[in-house]
Amino acid sequence: MKFSGNGLYIEKYVKCVNCGVIIYETDLPKSVDVGDGKVYCGQWCVNWAESRAERNSKKSA
Amino acid sequence: MDPIMMKILDSSMVSICREMGITLMQTSYSTIFNEALDFSCAIANTDGDMIACAEFCPAQIGGMPLMAKSIIKEIPLDDIHEGDVLLHNDPYRGGLHTPEHTFFKPIFCEGKLRGFAVSIGHIAEVGGMVPGGFPGEATEIFHEGLRLPPIKIVKRGVMNDDVWKIILANVRTPRYNYGDLRALISAVDLGVAQMTRLYDKYGADVVDQTSKDLMDYSERRMRAEIEKIPDGIYAFEDLVEDDGIEDRQYKIAVEVHKTGSNIIADYTGSSSQAKGPINATLGVTMSATYNAMLHMTDPDIPKNSGCFRPIRVIAPPTTVVNVDFPAPEVGGNTETHPRIAGTVIGALAGVIPHLAMAAEGCTHCNFVFGGVHATSKEFFACYDIEVVGWGGRSFADGNDACDSINGNCRVTPVEVFEVRYPWRVKEWVFREDSGGPGQFRGGVGYTKNLECLNDEIIISQMTDRHKTYPWGLKGGLPGDNGATLFKIGGKGNWKNAVQLYDKASPSKYSNISIKKGDLVSLVMPAGGGYGDPKERSREAVMQDVADGYVSKKAAKNIYGL
Repeated sequence: MKFSGNGLYIEKYVKCVNCGVIIYETDLPKSVDVGDGKVYCGQWCVNWAESRAERNSKKSA
Repeated sequence: MDPIMMKILDSSMVSICREMGITLMQTSYSTIFNEALDFSCAIANTDGDMIACAEFCPAQIGGMPLMAKSIIKEIPLDDIHEGDVLLHNDPYRGGLHTPEHTFFKPIFCEGKLRGFAVSIGHIAEVGGMVPGGFPGEATEIFHEGLRLPPIKIVKRGVMNDDVWKIILANVRTPRYNYGDLRALISAVDLGVAQMTRLYDKYGADVVDQTSKDLMDYSERRMRAEIEKIPDGIYAFEDLVEDDGIEDRQYKIAVEVHKTGSNIIADYTGSSSQAKGPINATLGVTMSATYNAMLHMTDPDIPKNSGCFRPIRVIAPPTTVVNVDFPAPEVGGNTETHPRIAGTVIGALAGVIPHLAMAAEGCTHCNFVFGGVHATSKEFFACYDIEVVGWGGRSFADGNDACDSINGNCRVTPVEVFEVRYPWRVKEWVFREDSGGPGQFRGGVGYTKNLECLNDEIIISQMTDRHKTYPWGLKGGLPGDNGATLFKIGGKGNWKNAVQLYDKASPSKYSNISIKKGDLVSLVMPAGGGYGDPKERSREAVMQDVADGYVSKKAAKNIYGL
């Protein structure tokens, strides 16, 4: 938990962009930061998001 | 693993949780606890896993583990001492919604922290923009009442008076809140005392090891159930009719991935979070997913965190299934939860139809009100739960007038309601032809008409199913939806909040002033039907007609009698 960028709120919540769990500071070593503000809680979620994107692109094709 | 010891300890711990609940019920001040039973009691270990619970509110039971794990993240175990009581209601860090106050009291044995006694209760008045805590027009968390991150309300057995002052200064009914919060604390006090006796009787190592064995056992039982479902990806969608702010629908979309003994429920594709208070927290979405799976599997599996291990939830942030600060969320736990659970049931209905049910009413009505009582001159506030028809199933009709599947709560009896609050219940009647027709009929809804007896009562509501119908299954037809209607001075035609009070939604609104003699009609939705209505037995249709559940016209035209 940290101060937010705009200073208005006490907390800044960092959530896994795939599964949505809060990534606490103790969870950071397992997390995967792929840039653009996107952080995954672990490699499993990175893989899941990639496979979902692949499945969806096949569906739309 | 000692199966006999496992059974003894499981039964003992469940019994302790029941006893905690009865204490809470009997010592609380508000009808939400002592009549509606909107609370749960559980035992957790130091990892935040739930090892036992009693049969109270499924939404709270499924949400408890994430809340416990969140607390431990913020208050380290070595900072938790004998006699402490921790309190938490923050929806963004594991909580379910702002009214849901959760208390954790540590259990120590032989000088070591072994676990927690947990009580969760829906506090009827939490401050914010409306009396009763359900502002249907909230657009930010600050409208929804006082938010409490994990804090110590009792430190080493001594009340933390500063915290009490802050809490009680921010609500409209401090005397009632004090009584209800103390009731929740009395429940965890009892839980700790009884668990300590259990530790003393059987020894710490036996209790701790058996608790682990018990969760492993539940996991195996749940995996065995999941393995019976064919592997595949199953999708389903449902809609929340509006958010109280804009007249547009919000999608709950799920893909259930079943592989071997694992379930992954992926809600990617659900709508972005709403401006209004229909958003679910992550805890709600996890709980709803567990709830759906518990509904479709062996009810005898001991309810603990073990049975949740095979189930993984993907709920992307900033969506209607995982709200982000500072968006509102109070309706997510009551209205969106059953929709989320319903999408999982709907997704699996194609492959395990014998275990599925059609849609239920999916609302708790959440009719909240407050004012100054003309007789006592004291401010009152009430969170009134009303109930719905459940969906038909492959073997039975839906339950008539039964609390939505996440609540398991009771309706406050008329006598108690009229004594406690300045309303007269003018009529309370089952609704003919409301249950979705089917081989197995959807449960019926009802109409409850109230007359205001006070100079003024301020009402608000956060409900749904006024525009979207509960879906049927396997050829069953939809159930009827609900409504909230008004007659000023008891005269004229019934009108809804859009027509009469210029609100954006008929089902979600804040702070309508009801005056003496005004009438309010709460029309509760029914459940969807299961199977072709023409297949319903002649005897069942005739009984429905005799009971006033089905009209003669519908018996002829829909059921073919």
